[in-house]
Parts: sequence; C-alpha cells; structure tokens
Amino acid sequence: MSGTGEKVSATTKTPADFLKSIRGRPVVVKLNSGVDYRGILACLDGYMNIAMEQTEEYVNGQLKNKYGDAFIRGNNVLYISTTKRTLGEGA
Amino acid sequence: MGSEEESAVKEPLDLIRLSLDERIYVKLRHDRELRGKLHAYDQHLNMILGDVEEIVTSVEIDDETYEEIVRVCLNFMDFLLLLFSFKFLFIIFIHEHIRE
Repeated sequence: MSGTGEKVSATTKTPADFLKSIRGRPVVVKLNSGVDYRGILACLDGYMNIAMEQTEEYVNGQLKNKYGDAFIRGNNVLYISTTKRTLGEGA
Repeated sequence: MGSEEESAVKEPLDLIRLSLDERIYVKLRHDRELRGKLHAYDQHLNMILGDVEEIVTSVEIDDETYEEIVRVCLNFMDFLLLLFSFKFLFIIFIHEHIRE
C-alpha cells in the first residue's frame, strides 16, 4: 500500500471517464457470483448494464463457454477491468 | 464484425431490442437457464418469452461415495413472463449471434 495512485492515466479522472475510455477494448467483467466474463466491451450504460462481444465465460479460472454477443444486467457486476490478454485466439 | 447491426448498438439495451423475435438464451442464478423467443421486454428487463425451454441443473454429493450427481430438469412452456428480481435475472446471451 505505498504510493498515492499517481500512476493512474492522466486521461482517467473519474469512474465515468474510465468507463468511456474502455469501449471497444478487451475487458474482464467479474460478477458477484465470482464468474468472469472476458470479451470486447461493446457498450455500457449508467446502470452498468454491459453489452459484450466474443464473450468467454470463466468459472474458477477455467473456460466454460464461449458466446457471441452477451448482455449483462448491471446489478450482477462486481467490477470491470481492462485486460492485456489478447482475445479471440480461437476465432 | 462491424456490420450494420453492430453499429446500431449504442447502449446495452439496443442489443436486446435487436433480439426481439429471436431466440435468446438467458442465464439465471441458481443454475437455471432459459431458451426462448423474445416477444417483449421493458427497461427493467422484465421479458415475455415464447416457446420456452427451462433447464435446471443441480449437483448433489452422494453421502457414501462422495460422487457428484448432476441432475438436469427440463421444463417446457408456451409462454413465460419473466419478472426481473435481484434474485433471478442474471445474464442474457443472444443465441442467434453465437460464433464458432
């Protein structure tokens, strides 16, 4: 717990700015249930409803399913994070 | 990708709008899944589905052998009004758009 968070990108000032900046990027969405969804973030709204493309479902870190487009209702979302991992290797 | 349909998705609910009259896959909590044709929805994601297949999966552990027993129960319904509640509605996959 050292530092004061100075490394946060200069373009990201508020959570809303972050959400705007990550559209079209590969993301990991973790739900309250602990299940991860990885895919390309198509769009999201103020309720944290999320539309994703090339969605992959990970349970306990293991790939369980692949879907095309997915809609996640915002109340289930614990966090959204960007990922460096390249997606769609199997596509 | 980059089709006309996708450019029409400006907010997440557009994805649902584009799925009207298509078969969708809804994943609910407690290992319940629904597949059906989306007839109507509202902003809360209450939905009316037609020609519905409900899949309920439960895993029990045998007391003696500790084996996992997976039970799958299938229900079929002509019409279903799915009311949103925090307990149930989970995630929706647009079935028709599934890519290999």
